[in-house]
Amino acid sequence: MDLGLEGKNAIVTGGSLGIGTAVALGLAKEGCNVAINYRRHDTEAKEVVRQIEEMGRKGLAVRADVASYSDAQNMVDTVVKEFGGLDIMVCNAGINWDGVIWKMSEEQWDTVINVNLKGYFNYNKAAAGVFKDRKGGKIVNISSINGLRGKFGQVNYSASKGGEIAMSKSLARELGKFNVNVNVVAPGMVMTEMARKIPPEFLNKAVDETMLGRIASPEDCADVVVFLCSDRSRHITGEVIKVDGGQYI
Amino acid sequence: MSRVGIIGIGHGVFGRRSDATVQELAFEAFKLAMEDAGIAREDLDASVIGSVPEYHKQRSLPGVVQEYLGLNPAPTWLTEVACSSGSAAIRTAWMSIKAGVHDIVAVIGCQKMTELSTPEILALMGRVGEVQWESVFGTTFPAYYALFAQRHMYEFGTTREQLLEVAIKNHYYGARNQCALFQKEITMEKAKASDEVSTPLQVYDCCANADGAACVILASEEKAKEISQKTVWLDGMGCATASMSVLRRPNLTGLPSAEAASAEAYRMAGVSAQDIKVAEVHDCFTIAEIMAYEDLGFCKKGEGGKFISDRQAYIGGKVPVNVDGGLKAKGHPIGATGVSMTVEIAKQLRGEAGERQVPDADVGLTHNVGGIGQYCFVQVLRRD
Amino acid sequence: MFKWFGKVNFSPFTKVSDFAGYLKDGHLMGSKCKKCGTTSFPPRADCESCMSGDFEFFEVTGKATLHTFTKIVAAPTGFEDEVPYIVGVVDLDEGGRALAWFGETVKEEEIAIGMELQMVPRIFEELEEIKVYYSLEKPGTTWSKV
Repeated sequence: MDLGLEGKNAIVTGGSLGIGTAVALGLAKEGCNVAINYRRHDTEAKEVVRQIEEMGRKGLAVRADVASYSDAQNMVDTVVKEFGGLDIMVCNAGINWDGVIWKMSEEQWDTVINVNLKGYFNYNKAAAGVFKDRKGGKIVNISSINGLRGKFGQVNYSASKGGEIAMSKSLARELGKFNVNVNVVAPGMVMTEMARKIPPEFLNKAVDETMLGRIASPEDCADVVVFLCSDRSRHITGEVIKVDGGQYI
Repeated sequence: MSRVGIIGIGHGVFGRRSDATVQELAFEAFKLAMEDAGIAREDLDASVIGSVPEYHKQRSLPGVVQEYLGLNPAPTWLTEVACSSGSAAIRTAWMSIKAGVHDIVAVIGCQKMTELSTPEILALMGRVGEVQWESVFGTTFPAYYALFAQRHMYEFGTTREQLLEVAIKNHYYGARNQCALFQKEITMEKAKASDEVSTPLQVYDCCANADGAACVILASEEKAKEISQKTVWLDGMGCATASMSVLRRPNLTGLPSAEAASAEAYRMAGVSAQDIKVAEVHDCFTIAEIMAYEDLGFCKKGEGGKFISDRQAYIGGKVPVNVDGGLKAKGHPIGATGVSMTVEIAKQLRGEAGERQVPDADVGLTHNVGGIGQYCFVQVLRRD
Repeated sequence: MFKWFGKVNFSPFTKVSDFAGYLKDGHLMGSKCKKCGTTSFPPRADCESCMSGDFEFFEVTGKATLHTFTKIVAAPTGFEDEVPYIVGVVDLDEGGRALAWFGETVKEEEIAIGMELQMVPRIFEELEEIKVYYSLEKPGTTWSKV
């Protein structure tokens, strides 16, 4: 299937690790120039850029804190300048900081909301400005099935992930008339850096929840994200696609 | 071919008539006209009503007017062409008499505009132009004439003062007309200080909606000679249309329908513009009167501003125009205006205009425009 | 859908309905009679010359010259939020005339009869429903700022 992604310009936040890297490389493989941001993992970020350039595409790593409104605007401006435009925005950067609510500090709540939810707002807004003027674009916000259901110990994380979904739907309504598609991918458990820190018994619990008997690889999620960035999904907007192996039906 | 004459005239008071329904207003004017003609209702063969229906709550207006005037079972119907509905009614009656179908026909122009609420009026206001391509941008009646004014000022150097002098003249004469809505003179200072409506037009450039009615009784030559000693003859009847959309007009400095209608009326009456001693023109906006001087041939194209500032439109000037106050001072009950103009010219030609009399007026003209010149009716009237 | 055209639309059904769809995608379309070649802007389905109903759309450049204008201060229903707005009548380079609002690229003080303008398709951005129109802008302004 020709995805029509040749020559498109994309930003993937949190592109130095996990799902973000898989998305960045997935897009590059289909012909995109890809820019990623990083906050601390500059070595990993540079490695991703090297792999992108090896495929014959333009790659760019920008140091930007997703929680910073101005960093997001600056990164979009930089990419538009360096690549000559922007067609795709994938928001993926996120953290979790779990705990039951009676032990959850104000800082725990604020940080997760700022990095996850505010972070997506920062980048969605910056991209929306460009896409509105261009009369075209694709936004994919990566959420989680824990934004669709409640999760023990994740009052903050679930709130941010649920918020990303509602935000994306509102944005789909606002940007539709400008030929911009806004969609959400909601993965279940994915084998990433974040997941490696989880105790084995919890990982197994997740496997048991799935119908397919396995948890996702980053590429399992990235393939769906790449599809939603492509011309093949041009009539899909305001949608939430779970990539959870049937973990939450 | 035989002539058609006016044997009776009647004019009601124009204004905010919260004291009467539209049929009661029609009756006022009708009664005066019948008394003036000295005939009875049985002598009438038919009536024609000129009115714009969208302003009334009563659906199918002619029915209620015919009943109230006591004219059943005689034929009647409505003519509607926006602000020239009154003249269309006169033309219809004229055609029926010329064709020999009827001998004596009453024409009633009547309109109540103040029954609508402000929102209803504002909604109607946005639909005066071509609604498919223009009303979507919120155009209004004053806006269209403003577009003409702006271009006229650009091409010919017409000034704001010249436009407002039209209003000043009409208020001067309106102050001497007991049927007018505004019976007060105005000054240039007051006019210039009025609110903007649609640049360059201000409130004092615009006529006001009003309620009112006027009536004329038309008769065949044979009947007129029998009944009346003071018949005023409808010797020239011109009528023409122009595109609804101002986008398809040849220019935006005059009304081609007025040029065409007046040419036809002059030709039919065997006169030229120079023979007109007194005229009623459609001054819905000050610029409209200035363009009328030009379209009717009272002056050259582009010199309408000079015509008014040289006082040529006052009594004593080249062609006294709107010496009953015009639409500006009388008010503009749209269906009645065409008939009101005809009543005034008939009065002038009969020598009955009192302090507003134009001396030796034997040939007069009415110029009644519908909308922004989509329709124009020009009549040349003569007293033998 | 022709009802997309204009802040307030009074003609939801017309033979030239596709005009609004083209406008939404950034194209200004006039009509051309397939039988005699007469063109028209705004488009019309029934040819004014030969009366044929067989027409096709063609794209106009939107380049125009200002013929006259007015600033509307007293608004009709539905336009109370927009007032005051300046309406211009322009002569299109390809022939025909159009009436439209002045857009943001032209300052009120700059407006003068005879000035060159560019008609640009526009979307009412802050309305949820799709509503499109065209505006008069400085020459060189484009629909899509790539």
